[in-house]
Amino acid sequence: MKRLVSLLACSLLAHPAFAAAQAHRGGTLRLTADGGGGTLDPQINYLSQYWQMFVVTNDGLTAFAKVDGLGSREIVPDLADSLPAPQDGGRTYVFHLRPGIRFSTGAPVTAQDVAASMRRLFKVGSPTAGSFYGGIVGADRCLAAPAGCTLASGVIADERAGTVTFHLTQPDGEFFDKLAMAHAYVLPADTPAHDLGNTPAAATGPYRFTAYDPNHGATLERNPYFHVWSAIAQPDGYVDRIQYEFGLSDEAQVTAVENGQFDWMFDNKPLDRLGELGDRHTDQVHIQPLFALFYMPMNVRLWPFNVVKARQAVNYAVNRRAMAIFYGGEAVADPLCEMVPRGLDGRSGQCFYTKGASPDHPAAAWSEPDLQVARRLVEESGTKGARVTLIVPDRAIEISMGVYLQNTLNRIGYRTSVKFITNSIAFTYAQNSNNRVQISLDDWFADYPAASNFLDDLFGCENFHPGSDSSINMSEICDPELQKTIEAAKRAEPFDRAAGDRLWAQASNEVMATAAAAPLIQMKYVDLVSKRVGHYTYTLLYHMLFSQVWVR
Amino acid sequence: MSASVQAPASPPPAGPWRSAVRALLGDRTALAAAVLLAVIVLACLAAPLYASRIAHTDPFNADVAATVMLHGQEVAVMQPNNNRLHLGLTPLGPTWNPGAYLLGADSQGRDVMARLLYGGRNSLLISASSAVLCIVLAAIVGIVAGFFGGLVDAALSRLLDIMWAIPVYLFAISLSIVTISQGLRLGPVTLESDNLLLPIGIIALVYVPYAARPVRGRVLALRNSEFVLAARGLGVPPARILWRDILPNVSGTLIVLAPLLMALDMLTESALSFLSIGVQAPAASWGTIIQDGEGLIYTRPWVALAPGIAIVLTVLALNLLGDGLRDALDRQGSGPAGA
Amino acid sequence: MTPALLRRFGQTLLVLFGISVLVFLIFFATPGADPTARIAGRNASPQTLAFVRHEYGFDRPLPVQYLRMMQRLFITRDLTSFVGHGEKVVPEVMRAAPVTLSLVGGAALIWVVASVVMGTLAAATRGSLLDRGLMVLGLIGISMPVFWLGSVVNLLTQSRLHASWLFSWVPGLGYVPLSEDPLGWFRALVLPWCTLAVLFIGIYGRVLRADLVAAYREDFIRTARAKGLSPARVMVRHALRTSMISFVSLFGLDFAQLVGGGALLTEVVFGLQGVGRLTYQALANLDLPLIMATVMYSAVFVVLANAVVDLVYVVLDPRVRDSR
Repeated sequence: MKRLVSLLACSLLAHPAFAAAQAHRGGTLRLTADGGGGTLDPQINYLSQYWQMFVVTNDGLTAFAKVDGLGSREIVPDLADSLPAPQDGGRTYVFHLRPGIRFSTGAPVTAQDVAASMRRLFKVGSPTAGSFYGGIVGADRCLAAPAGCTLASGVIADERAGTVTFHLTQPDGEFFDKLAMAHAYVLPADTPAHDLGNTPAAATGPYRFTAYDPNHGATLERNPYFHVWSAIAQPDGYVDRIQYEFGLSDEAQVTAVENGQFDWMFDNKPLDRLGELGDRHTDQVHIQPLFALFYMPMNVRLWPFNVVKARQAVNYAVNRRAMAIFYGGEAVADPLCEMVPRGLDGRSGQCFYTKGASPDHPAAAWSEPDLQVARRLVEESGTKGARVTLIVPDRAIEISMGVYLQNTLNRIGYRTSVKFITNSIAFTYAQNSNNRVQISLDDWFADYPAASNFLDDLFGCENFHPGSDSSINMSEICDPELQKTIEAAKRAEPFDRAAGDRLWAQASNEVMATAAAAPLIQMKYVDLVSKRVGHYTYTLLYHMLFSQVWVR
Repeated sequence: MSASVQAPASPPPAGPWRSAVRALLGDRTALAAAVLLAVIVLACLAAPLYASRIAHTDPFNADVAATVMLHGQEVAVMQPNNNRLHLGLTPLGPTWNPGAYLLGADSQGRDVMARLLYGGRNSLLISASSAVLCIVLAAIVGIVAGFFGGLVDAALSRLLDIMWAIPVYLFAISLSIVTISQGLRLGPVTLESDNLLLPIGIIALVYVPYAARPVRGRVLALRNSEFVLAARGLGVPPARILWRDILPNVSGTLIVLAPLLMALDMLTESALSFLSIGVQAPAASWGTIIQDGEGLIYTRPWVALAPGIAIVLTVLALNLLGDGLRDALDRQGSGPAGA
Repeated sequence: MTPALLRRFGQTLLVLFGISVLVFLIFFATPGADPTARIAGRNASPQTLAFVRHEYGFDRPLPVQYLRMMQRLFITRDLTSFVGHGEKVVPEVMRAAPVTLSLVGGAALIWVVASVVMGTLAAATRGSLLDRGLMVLGLIGISMPVFWLGSVVNLLTQSRLHASWLFSWVPGLGYVPLSEDPLGWFRALVLPWCTLAVLFIGIYGRVLRADLVAAYREDFIRTARAKGLSPARVMVRHALRTSMISFVSLFGLDFAQLVGGGALLTEVVFGLQGVGRLTYQALANLDLPLIMATVMYSAVFVVLANAVVDLVYVVLDPRVRDSR
């Protein structure tokens, strides 16, 4: 793995086209989106729209490789000079900082800054403080009392040696992934310990924010203190300036990019324009894989889905092809049989619930629903005739899916009503166990490319919080066998990736055997750029890489 | 001739209703409007007939894999685009064949014509019911405020001012968002979010200030008229005055308001449904169909054009009817109080 | 005069207070509107939730939260949105205001001129074919849902006839600030102006015609005609003047409602980021600070307009003036 990474890095720097690439340097990249999303504080903002900017303004100890395609799943060292080997049974990592890196203020990046940023994470109430960084020694004290967070025994900075030592309570094979997240980006130690709001943080990447208005847009310009220390972790930018403007509707954005008024648009392309894009702007459209899925969690503690056969019946009955059509057609969505999307390791690759298959005799792919078997299972489960309320957010795509699913559930013997909830509160509504939600329609996007983002997040015991708006284990499942497999996978990961993947695949099968949810489709990302954009580079996590496209 | 010769006894004056109807029947435009309305209502009532017997389609459940026979060829209702990326799905366009997808399919493969007729039922039902409800509420508020005056009038007028201060659509939108997301619980009764009583009640409520104003004005004028003053002087109890003297004379105003309110309500309902906070899926109304058609406006315009034309025709007919009624009732004078 | 003014002012404040309390209560009555989890972020731990709840003051009693919000909205003006971290709502509303003002102002100009012409012509030729034709046209204008009309206009001008000489000048949907590009501002707004005006031309044309026809029956008009004044002079100087009263009062109220956000459907269909659209988005996102800001903004306009209209009545109608 390391060899591959260093090979890639060398090849990039020594590439004969490097000199030619200088010809493409310069210009302004014009981006458009419907709205902004709030704070410029990378340790608080959790929106992919902003992470796409943060990824070229800031850095963490590690990063995802900034290359096009599948290579962007790999972790590479960024501010650290190498990925340290796990010590102390996987509980200790000692990172050595690269010397000579400066913030956009001119100050050097030091070990103290790293430690301070980890503490600041807790002090400002970062959304992932608990979920990603709760494994650091002392994190529990920081979560309980953020203001006085010291992490004295968890993150230890050694200025003279230029190292930062992390102590974890448990081995964590995904720790490097978590350090690559924006919430762990390194900011100067003197960054105030409150939400930065509209004030940009000091930058380490090729660009920095020079202007920002959450309603109107952002301007990024070159960071004068940036130099390339690792082309694969943080390459230099081609364009001199990035101009992001908010305010156009998605329809208007498509028209604007087609006309060349903007180079790229953020929002999802409206379904009615897909045909036009495919017909008339084929070369400007890029269909990319996405680690995201639509699914229906079923509450295993409420009637009728507390009966396994009822949940399996639903899995057999749903027409995943119809769901793909509602999302926009089979060019942009694929039926999905298990709760881990394609492109991730840790999948079983098996389909239990399609015509001619079963958990004991899985098929390789989904073909069609089996209503007969579904009806039989409903009868056997004794839940026939049960009243079911399906919770659906009130967006166009989800509404059409919801209506269709209502019909499906009715056809297998339930009495189903659909409740459309305002999109802004639908997600929190479905999570709160006080609302007694039996089944809902949701989507889920991975934070980083790991099976745990789906299996652990959505089905792990620790992610069920009764009576809370933030309880993403909407199936409310806490199955000891499944939990054991998940824990085993997490333990194996740091030392033996392949063993870890096998255990995740086993966990995936267990989730589907117990049918705690019904996966529906995996979506693809449709990207549209203007004619003048060249060297289109797409990273699987952060979409188009702003620093690597050119406009001249 | 002697002035003392008695004029022949004239027949008792026909009541305001009967003479209004007679005058209305003579007004050709209003009559045409009434006929148009009747045709629209009948067509919408026949929706189930159309869907099952003529078009053979289920307008509420999408069958995304459906095909239809056109000119002897089997055509998919949802047609994938044949570009290199296979990007895009276009629903069938109008076939102009009443037997199958007369106006084409919408983005879920449903028959637009059948949905149009079903949607009309909801639109007509909601606008008529909310108009009636609004008139009842406005009559109560207007009469009470106008008749009793003083503090009651001041309080009610302030309340109406507050309600009218918020732009009507925004008021309706905020109420709808609150109730649609969770339904409405009124003591023992729960109205689910797809219950039509919710939009009916909300639309009626937001127009009460609009309708109560002319009623109140009329009652104020009546209160100071001679016959009411006489009745009060005689010591007739207020309830009796309200019932026997005020209400019949206000009824003219109310009758004229009815079709105009229904027209306003239909426009409001279509706006709310267009914003997805009126009629809820899978039920349809003309506003929701226009919303469905928004996304298809450049490729399949008929999905949005048809319900819009239906609304225009219905509202136009209602307005013409209202005009005719107003002219008819005006010709009768304003009642016993004279010009 | 002054005590009446003071009383009016007091009533205005009362109305505004009433509206703000109403909005606040409606929001908190909406179950599931608790913004803590939405603000804290996806999959936030219970401790983070508690942290956010405390930081934003959601654990305080309702009256305290109301007062804090009002203070931050009116006095310190740094009230921030629930949905967009750090977005100050007052500047957001102030930036949307010129868009709505441009839209409504232009439309108002068009509809006033058109409806005065239409109403006067119709009244002057009452009973004729022109009169009936104009009234039917007005009626059709009233009968069209404005968002549908906008969609049809878009269909014709952006798609079907865009290539032709008729509409090739039509820019893409959206607003161009006047300070940036006056010609672009104009081009982007022409069609929204006409669409919004259609509805009101119908209403105002008919109202004016009815008032003019009624005025012609009045005594003072008969006097003017008996004096031998020309029909045009009678119409313009005498009849129009008194008929403008209800016209102006209606106009004041409608204009205020529109500027305050009533034009949201037009804004949505034409992609203009005005106050109406902002209000609708705030409502759809259950973003209480923004809802409060936009509702207060529009309520101020409407209440002011009520007061101005009453004043105008005094000025325009000699009968009212003399009776005071």
